[in-house]
Amino acid sequence: MWLSILGLILGVSLGLLTDIRIPPEYANYLSIAVLAALDTLFGGIRAHLQQVYDDKVFVSGFFFNIMLAAGLAFLGVHLGVDLYLAAIFAFGVRLFQNIAVIRRILLNKWTEKKEIRESV
Amino acid sequence: MKKPSSRKQAKFSKSIIFPLVFLVLGFILAYSYSLSQAEETSGDFMANSQFEQEERFREELIEQQERNKTLREEMQNKQNALQEFESSFSTEEADYSGMAAEAEKLRRYIGLMPVEGEGLKVVLEDGEYSLEAVNPNNYIVHESHVFQVIHEMYISGAEAVSVNGQRIQSNSTIVCTGPVIEVDGVQHPAPFVIEAIGKPEVLAASLELPGGVLDQLVNDNIIVTMDEGLVISMPALLSES
Repeated sequence: MWLSILGLILGVSLGLLTDIRIPPEYANYLSIAVLAALDTLFGGIRAHLQQVYDDKVFVSGFFFNIMLAAGLAFLGVHLGVDLYLAAIFAFGVRLFQNIAVIRRILLNKWTEKKEIRESV
Repeated sequence: MKKPSSRKQAKFSKSIIFPLVFLVLGFILAYSYSLSQAEETSGDFMANSQFEQEERFREELIEQQERNKTLREEMQNKQNALQEFESSFSTEEADYSGMAAEAEKLRRYIGLMPVEGEGLKVVLEDGEYSLEAVNPNNYIVHESHVFQVIHEMYISGAEAVSVNGQRIQSNSTIVCTGPVIEVDGVQHPAPFVIEAIGKPEVLAASLELPGGVLDQLVNDNIIVTMDEGLVISMPALLSES
């Protein structure tokens, strides 16, 4: 757990300190990657809460989604089709769904706890 | 035996993979953030700078225009000054040319230059020897006659006068020494050819005035011949005749 937080901090600091400037037309890939990462993260949290979490699925999904999104955006740029919109749409929808599921699960847990406490 | 090892492996992979995942996540987030921030600032900066640049260029332009204006005014002033100078030059030049002409004229008067022009030629010859006249002074040409003629010519506007080809200058001396006269130390016998440059008709008229020089000369038994309309040339004083 601590190692994970350390990794996060390291990543953030690395990202902030990186001085490499990518051309603006490639910024789309990065936004897609961000979206994919967030989606996978929330997917992982949801899976954990639903007790269907799997390390391999999470990790592979994390990296694969990032790469897929970036590749899709890349393809879209080179084909002249805004394919990254599709990725944004898909990931956005899934992100909201995941967050909604997480919220519902947490609400259920909370209400259950409350009921238990009341009954006690 | 197998289970703990797999558990251990799982734990190990978890402890390695999660930090890795979070590292990537953090990196992507932070990088994206910093990139968008940079873009925003750069865009902002660009817009700002565009505006500022426009403003700055405009100010520069105004400054340049003002400077141009002042320079133009300066140029105008300088040109005016130059024109004044030039006009003064031209007037001075005119003055100079006038002066030069005057100097030449004066030089002609004092005999430093050879002169040529229309003039009058007067020849004074001794009168005929006559038995009645006992005194030869009565019929030979005296220096006073020559003087008279020369003076009359000067008075009537002669620019240059010569006696037997010798220029008369302002301080010339004419001395009578017996039958000859000396002009500046050079002896000249009769007949005396007095040449004058000037307006021939004026010179002739002044000589021919009633009771004037001509009459006096004739009274003194001198033979006077006048030639008008000749082109007379005289050497400069300094040159050898």
